[in-house]
Amino acid sequence: MAAQAEQVPSIMKQGRATPWAYLLPALIVMATFIVYPGLNTFYLSFRNTGNTGWAGDNCIAGEPCWGAFENYRYALTSPVMQTAFGNNLKWILLMVSGTVLLGLLIAALADRVRYESPAKAIIFLPLAISFVGAGVIWKFVYAFGSGQVQIGLLNGLLTALGGQPVSWLTEPRINTVALIVVGVWMWTGFCMTILAAALKNVPTEIIEAARVDGANEWQVFWGIMMPQILPTVAVVVTTMVINVLKIFDIVYVMTGGNYGTEVIANRMYIEMYTSFKTGRAAAIAVVLIAVIIPAMIYNIRRFRAQEAAR
Amino acid sequence: MSAQRLKRWLGGLPTHIVLIGLCGLWLLPTLGLLVTSFRPFQDVAETGWWTALSPPKGAAEYAEFCAACHGSDGKKIAAADLTRQELVQSYRRSFTLIAALEKEINGRPHLGDTPVPDEFQAAAVAAYLRRISGIEARPRFTLDNYTDAMTGYRGTTNYAADCAAGTQSLDLFCDWRDLGNPRGMGRAFLNSLLVAIPSTLLPILFAAFAAYAFSWMHFPGRQFMFALLVGLQIVPLQMTLIPISRLYAQLGLNGTFFGIWLFHTGFGLPYAIFLMRNFLGSLPQELFESAYLDGASHWTAFWRLALPLSAPAIASLGIFQFLWIWNDLLVALVFLGGEHPVLTYQIGNMVTSLGSGWHLLTAAAFISMALPLIVFLALQRYFVRGLLAGSVKG
Amino acid sequence: MNKQIGYLFSTVVIAAMLITACGGGATTAAPTAAPATSAPVAGGIDCLGAKAGDTITMLYQWSGQEETRLNEILKPLVDACGLVIKPESTRDQALLDTKVQAGTPPDIAFWNTAQLVQYEAALVPMDKLGAQGENYADFFKAPGTVNGKWLGLPVKADIKTIIWYSPAVFAAKGYAVPTTWAELEALVEKMKANGDVPWSMGMESGDATGWTGSDFIQDILLVKQGPQYVLDLISGDVAYNDAGVKDAYEIYGKWARDPKYTVGGAQGTLSTSFLDAIYKPYSDPPEAMMVKQSGFAGGEVAKKYTDLKYGTDYDFFAIPGAQGLQGGADWMMAFSDTPAVRALVAYLSSTEGGANWAKSGFDLSPNKGAAGNYIDPALIKKGEALANTKGFTPDIGDTIPGGFGKAEWTALVDYVNGGDLDAALAAAAQVQAEATK
Repeated sequence: MAAQAEQVPSIMKQGRATPWAYLLPALIVMATFIVYPGLNTFYLSFRNTGNTGWAGDNCIAGEPCWGAFENYRYALTSPVMQTAFGNNLKWILLMVSGTVLLGLLIAALADRVRYESPAKAIIFLPLAISFVGAGVIWKFVYAFGSGQVQIGLLNGLLTALGGQPVSWLTEPRINTVALIVVGVWMWTGFCMTILAAALKNVPTEIIEAARVDGANEWQVFWGIMMPQILPTVAVVVTTMVINVLKIFDIVYVMTGGNYGTEVIANRMYIEMYTSFKTGRAAAIAVVLIAVIIPAMIYNIRRFRAQEAAR
Repeated sequence: MSAQRLKRWLGGLPTHIVLIGLCGLWLLPTLGLLVTSFRPFQDVAETGWWTALSPPKGAAEYAEFCAACHGSDGKKIAAADLTRQELVQSYRRSFTLIAALEKEINGRPHLGDTPVPDEFQAAAVAAYLRRISGIEARPRFTLDNYTDAMTGYRGTTNYAADCAAGTQSLDLFCDWRDLGNPRGMGRAFLNSLLVAIPSTLLPILFAAFAAYAFSWMHFPGRQFMFALLVGLQIVPLQMTLIPISRLYAQLGLNGTFFGIWLFHTGFGLPYAIFLMRNFLGSLPQELFESAYLDGASHWTAFWRLALPLSAPAIASLGIFQFLWIWNDLLVALVFLGGEHPVLTYQIGNMVTSLGSGWHLLTAAAFISMALPLIVFLALQRYFVRGLLAGSVKG
Repeated sequence: MNKQIGYLFSTVVIAAMLITACGGGATTAAPTAAPATSAPVAGGIDCLGAKAGDTITMLYQWSGQEETRLNEILKPLVDACGLVIKPESTRDQALLDTKVQAGTPPDIAFWNTAQLVQYEAALVPMDKLGAQGENYADFFKAPGTVNGKWLGLPVKADIKTIIWYSPAVFAAKGYAVPTTWAELEALVEKMKANGDVPWSMGMESGDATGWTGSDFIQDILLVKQGPQYVLDLISGDVAYNDAGVKDAYEIYGKWARDPKYTVGGAQGTLSTSFLDAIYKPYSDPPEAMMVKQSGFAGGEVAKKYTDLKYGTDYDFFAIPGAQGLQGGADWMMAFSDTPAVRALVAYLSSTEGGANWAKSGFDLSPNKGAAGNYIDPALIKKGEALANTKGFTPDIGDTIPGGFGKAEWTALVDYVNGGDLDAALAAAAQVQAEATK
């Protein structure tokens, strides 16, 4: 904190109001579009389905009831939400590690070749595709033809090799992983671009010095470059964790949350706009926020520590 | 020397293999869609897209069972000309074809000593006959999906066919004016631009102001405010739609571009502030000190120093925000709706409520992808410096 | 140089604002805006005081060709009264709900019956708007009536209790169209014994996956339990995990989970899109013999297999033994009471409106004026089935509010995917109990 304050030269001191004038546009817009709906959501999470009374009204006699916290009972204990929590955990573990590791690998390799630009553009390409487009694209990868013909690439490959076609999106053991693959495909470009920027920033003299000392590329990467870019990796990981917790579109477009692929944000959407149970949706949103907060705090803390250290 | 070069080349080989392999994997799904977008939709569910270049269905089976007598072009027996539609009409499916092949001709089996084909072989032959007789005369590749998507064609066949027959619907002219058809993608493309450009610039500008204050100004609660604003990333967008549209209804902002700009600005700000603050804060302190010694005010320093120097951060932030808005459907649907259809809205509406028309999506996806890709390629070189800001200091 | 970038932002933003400010009015998407005519009455259409230039905002789920047909149907009214229709098309229920909750609903929405209950307070009753009720059978008015108020006008209907097949294939393979449920079951067994796959049951449909299955279940209920049972399920008097429902699921599951009965077995049922499922009896060689699908399926077959003819290559028969028909209808609901809305309601509920609907080929019209006006042979046959039916039960899932439809599909998907039937039905029954409480 102290280091922070000293960072701004005293010569640049200004009037009391000036900083707030600079913050004002952002504050107004964010208060309107995020804080107000956020508080509204919090309020709704204690209300009943039609927002005509408190959530306890939704209880059915003879069933468990948490009174005003009834919506939270659903958000925390219902079987479908349990599935969603489990799946979100899978998403975090697989998608974050997948995007970060692949992004790192591609960033490190692309740095050494002459076709760096096109290679990066190819990896980045999926980010430029809308989810509707991505849904169609992956339909032709995962399609399960029950008869003679396979129009899905994976099953075409499997049957050509003499195997049995697999129903990638409905088989509960593999479908979440199949969806995560789509997520990795879409988001690796994001991780790659940031990590590539960090790698470029490692001073060339250190790397050259290590090479002169006889270190091989592997040692240079892990011994010299990794420690330098570790803070960036941490940021990328936490940003991805936050993104993945909010993952919605891929699941919504490809399976609609069926076959055991439910995730928290999709359930929230369904409760809100398919079942019109605003209270439940709000409670799920609050739970989602609560889950994200630790990652957010970590991100900000780490950022502050870094600021202080400079 | 050359041995050393060879060694170096060999040493780099794994890098190339892994990298090119990964790029291939990444491109493959999109390539599939690209090929599919040029195929007639009736073919898409019949064969995998990777077979699009292999010989037409049934050619091999025709050669095996029929070519010997009917000739390779099907015309050798004049009485049974296989290119005549009236004849083939009766044998266009495997079960009728097999029945015919099982009958005897002039007291001899139709196929002589050759066994009668099984139903899959017969189906292939039938498909081949439908093709050479013109009953099912569709090209293997076509631009129809693209023209239909661009012009917002909504009929039962395709734009080119309807225009040739003069049976196009009332809102089509069958000339270049159709590019501006309200159901087509041209108008939607402009609307998407109208949404995306201000919604990209506004949050960057607001974030730059805020980030400047966080970086180069003193005020109490600075840390807390920063954490708070950045932390607002966690509010899920889906929950804000109803309260905001209630608000907009009172202000008359529903269905206006201004309303959607503000909404996107609100949701773009947390990340934008985070990134801009990191970048601005990492600029050399001496730069600002000397500007002040020269008598510059904060206002001048912001416009002349901070903003121009953060061009890389603005570029990278800009592209991510632009992509997000360009590909957004939900917000555009709720706040703009059909009044000013954007690309994603228009694309979604190409599929009818019963699911047909989805083949237009293949072409439409590529049309909508074109601009973001160009923007990315144009701004790519700024990324190197720009995105760095989100993580480490210079 | 530095200055320029700063100015660039403000100029671009301002320029963009100007562009939209100028273009705002000009970019309406309505292709139906007709030249203003002042004739109040033309061609038997009563404008009921609506003036040229009056607008009606509309929200519906139709798009593509369906939208074109709606425009054709509305054209006489639009031309006669000079109305300007401002349509929005989406299948995203979020849009309708957001608009209604924000207090800015469209004048007219075409949606499902469940929304009649949901928006009961905001809707204007049809009789108040001058709808001609005598043109509708009671079983069509009943689902549109909430707490004694007639809130929804059924404009478009499709019958679901039918099975599509290929007469040519049936003839070639020696199969006959069944006339009783027992005959249907026997036919299925015969096909299976011959090595033909009887059914194509694919039900993948994005986040609505399962609806073809729940249609099938409801048809089985109509055969085994009768229409009153279905109505009792809708009202909540019979719980969704009742023995009759379980029995229907088991009949369905026997077919839907076995690759000998349906294309691809359970995984084929779950992951084949309903559209691809329609094609399978007509592919070559046919992958299946029959597909149970609503009336719209014929149109999809015609589009995909351009050489096939209705009547000889593809046709349908009513599910044998079903007591009454199951059908889906699209309901027109009005959120405002203006002369233009009244003119629209009067027109669509008039005999002429029904006739124009029938002529457009946009599925069936529940309006009695439609009779005798269908042009397409398949629609004529469907129209007769609808006109002669003794009863018409709405889709259970569409009718029970509060997300029961989704719960029903989830139960079905879980069951077909190998889940426990009792648990699946109990979960759906729970949602049913909450909704009908």
